[in-house]
Amino acid sequence: MRTWAPPAALLATAGAGFVALLWLWLAGGGEINVPWAPTLDLRLHLRLDGLAAMYALMATGVAVPVFLFAWRYLPHHLAEQGRSVREQPRFYALLGLFMVSMVGLALAQDLILLFLFWDLTAVASYLLIAYDRDDPEARRAALMALLVTAITAVALLIGTLLLYDRYGTFSLPELFRVAESSTTVTVAAALIALAALAKSAQVPFHFWLGRAMAAPTPVSAYLHSAAMVAAGVLLIGRVYPLLERSPVLLDALVVAGFASMLVGGVLALSRDDLKQVLAYSTFSQYGYVVFLYGLGGESGVGAAAFYVVTHAVAKCALFLTAGAVTRATGAQRLSELGGLGRRMPVVAAGSLACAATVASLPLTVGFFADELLFKAALERGWVFAAMALLIAVLTLAYMARFWTGLFLGAPRTEAGPVPAAMVAPVGALGAICLIAGLVPAPFAAIAQDAATPSLLAAVPVEARYYLDLRAENLLALATFALGALVYAAHRAVPAAAAAVARLGERLGPERAYTAGLAALNGLSDRVHDLEVRDFRGRVTAIFLPSGVLFALAFVLTPTLGAYAVGSFSLGDLPLVLMLGFAGAVAVAATRPRGHLTMVLTLGTVGFALAVVYALLGAPNVALVAVLVETIVALLFIGVLSLIPREVLRSQMRATRERRGTRFRDPAVGLVAGATVFVLVWGGLSRTGGEGDAAGRLTELAPEAHADNVVTAILADLRALDTLGEITVVAVALLGVTKLLRRGRLW
Amino acid sequence: MSSVVTRVVARMLLAPILVVAIAILVKGFTDVGDGFSAGVVAALGILLQYVTLGREEVERTLPVRLLPHAAFVALLGALAVALVPLLRGDPILTHYPPAGAEVTTVGKLELMTAVAFDAAVFVLVLGAVVGIVHAVARAYEEMETT
Repeated sequence: MRTWAPPAALLATAGAGFVALLWLWLAGGGEINVPWAPTLDLRLHLRLDGLAAMYALMATGVAVPVFLFAWRYLPHHLAEQGRSVREQPRFYALLGLFMVSMVGLALAQDLILLFLFWDLTAVASYLLIAYDRDDPEARRAALMALLVTAITAVALLIGTLLLYDRYGTFSLPELFRVAESSTTVTVAAALIALAALAKSAQVPFHFWLGRAMAAPTPVSAYLHSAAMVAAGVLLIGRVYPLLERSPVLLDALVVAGFASMLVGGVLALSRDDLKQVLAYSTFSQYGYVVFLYGLGGESGVGAAAFYVVTHAVAKCALFLTAGAVTRATGAQRLSELGGLGRRMPVVAAGSLACAATVASLPLTVGFFADELLFKAALERGWVFAAMALLIAVLTLAYMARFWTGLFLGAPRTEAGPVPAAMVAPVGALGAICLIAGLVPAPFAAIAQDAATPSLLAAVPVEARYYLDLRAENLLALATFALGALVYAAHRAVPAAAAAVARLGERLGPERAYTAGLAALNGLSDRVHDLEVRDFRGRVTAIFLPSGVLFALAFVLTPTLGAYAVGSFSLGDLPLVLMLGFAGAVAVAATRPRGHLTMVLTLGTVGFALAVVYALLGAPNVALVAVLVETIVALLFIGVLSLIPREVLRSQMRATRERRGTRFRDPAVGLVAGATVFVLVWGGLSRTGGEGDAAGRLTELAPEAHADNVVTAILADLRALDTLGEITVVAVALLGVTKLLRRGRLW
Repeated sequence: MSSVVTRVVARMLLAPILVVAIAILVKGFTDVGDGFSAGVVAALGILLQYVTLGREEVERTLPVRLLPHAAFVALLGALAVALVPLLRGDPILTHYPPAGAEVTTVGKLELMTAVAFDAAVFVLVLGAVVGIVHAVARAYEEMETT
């Protein structure tokens, strides 16, 4: 395959998707609502409302520059690691999956469907973060992202099921109509919000986001601006009508959002690695959004939506800037970089516009975002306005540190050329930030539309310059002044911030995560050791617990009349003798002998049982038993021939000499055998009556055009089971070829 | 290597064994047998050739190398039988003709999708066993040479 084909196809898909979604949105939206699994009340319900349009447009729109960037970035990236360019399609396929699942998530109106896409984004991000699979750091980061977001996704599922249990529907519009303010709704909404906060990397789940920077740059850019992290606030916006019903939850959102803004801002100030600075900035910025949702009301929700769009555009460009800079210089730390403004004028200008957007300077679209933030905060009270001010100052300071650190001052490194495809996206996104700073109407329109589904009512979102001394403007002026001060003191500030960051690392939630993971790993290892030390141990690990559990079940259930003793006639003598023979051979099989002897002994048990089936008038089962015993014994011998004779012998000796095994193995066999005996006895005592599944199947056989009940069951009545079983056979074939022939089928 | 008599008898037995296997498959719905048993019988017939004639001769004279691949094709076939009813709006694994309808028969063979499913089981089991036998035989040879 040509190397340009996959990225080009993906670019075309993203572009076409963007145009199609935009057209559909301008045409007033669209809806698909078809039953998917009607017996489970599941519907494939996708609707392009304002909120969906905003996130879907972000996912496809931001994808275009990211894919364009990746096109140039990836071959270089792979070459650096000595990997083949043939690994490219996988990357693009995963990015495509990420994009599609994000669009699906934005459109989903059914909670189960939402959950599905939710986990799909987690899976896609896991594979993308771990794309450099030889890098243990990347693998660890990917696992962390997956665990944090997927375990909390269970909270989303539980919340969904709580709501379903109460209201009998998964459909969100339906739920908004019927749900009232009750404890169930509060608990469910809290669980859903928990999942959303983890996905958006809010405190205390923020640690995964910083680690996720181990991913290739295009992935980071996409994940941070328009996909994974945005999914969290998308969910909050989507279920906002439920959240709104309990003020406690909104207050919790304010707290979580503020904590995230603060921690993110401080950490962003303290980091030296470019991508880390941006990662913590993202986390802080999504804190803004959560904070705004928590403030609530028309201005809060409207501002939240506006914030998300501006952030997506700006943050994407900043990540690409970091990628381009690293490509040009090979350095990725602020302390190693500087003075690149002359060397990379387009990147510098583009990222200046975007950094200014994040820092909310006038003439960029970010300015309106902060105006809306201050307006919403002021409506709630001066304390909230003070919080907003504090965060805005921090943001301005770390953004200034980032940009000036890169592009101003004396050059410290050599800068090589950077392909135009990596520069152009930064410039274009910067231009968008500036144009929208002058004409913010399109951004305001989409934010306004996006706030509507959250409040179930149209919300005015106004973005314009007021040249007067209203409180918002004063706060903005205060931000610039204080931000400049903090930046001026920027030698001292990062030191202080770094001290805080170190404290956080020492006591923070990442430690809890690491400790929890280590404990789980240890537990799993111990169980594993216990179970698979040798084959007998493994059999014991299955037989003993199941035997004990079954025994418990028997003790606890009423036994009166459950065990019938049938009659016995002389004609049954062959049957009894054969059963006795089978039992005797089975007992003999417990004595350790040579491996071949054991195989043949077990085969003898099987053949004896086949005779029993034949005597009972079940020729079909008897035939299968004979055939299976034959083929298994033969394959066993074949496999035994692969093991060197000395190994077999020493194994045998070891088993014989190990203390305790002499009585342990027969005892285990006895417990398991006795339990199965009682189980079968109980089952056979209940033939006839309503529990008689075998009888029902026999009656059904003629309807399957069969005289042979067994075949009818295998191929028709229980064909799904058969399908599963033959799949197992096929997988077993694959397993054998993998083990013996390194995967070659022939 | 086995004696001439064993080799000749094994050669001669292959065709009857395969005929029996096909019979077990074809008569599965009206008489004793099913696709699984038929697959194992056929596989035993081929295993007999491996044991008496040796791997190389069997694989030179019989088209067995296709069988492991056929196993996966058969799995796809079984899946197709399972999923085609979805296109007609029925639950998966609905067999045609439905209960109560007339079934065309050719001798003891009933022409219905359940038999096709059973045939897929036959091919899969045969292919899987032959694949495993081949893998074990090759691994044994490799062990001998090293």
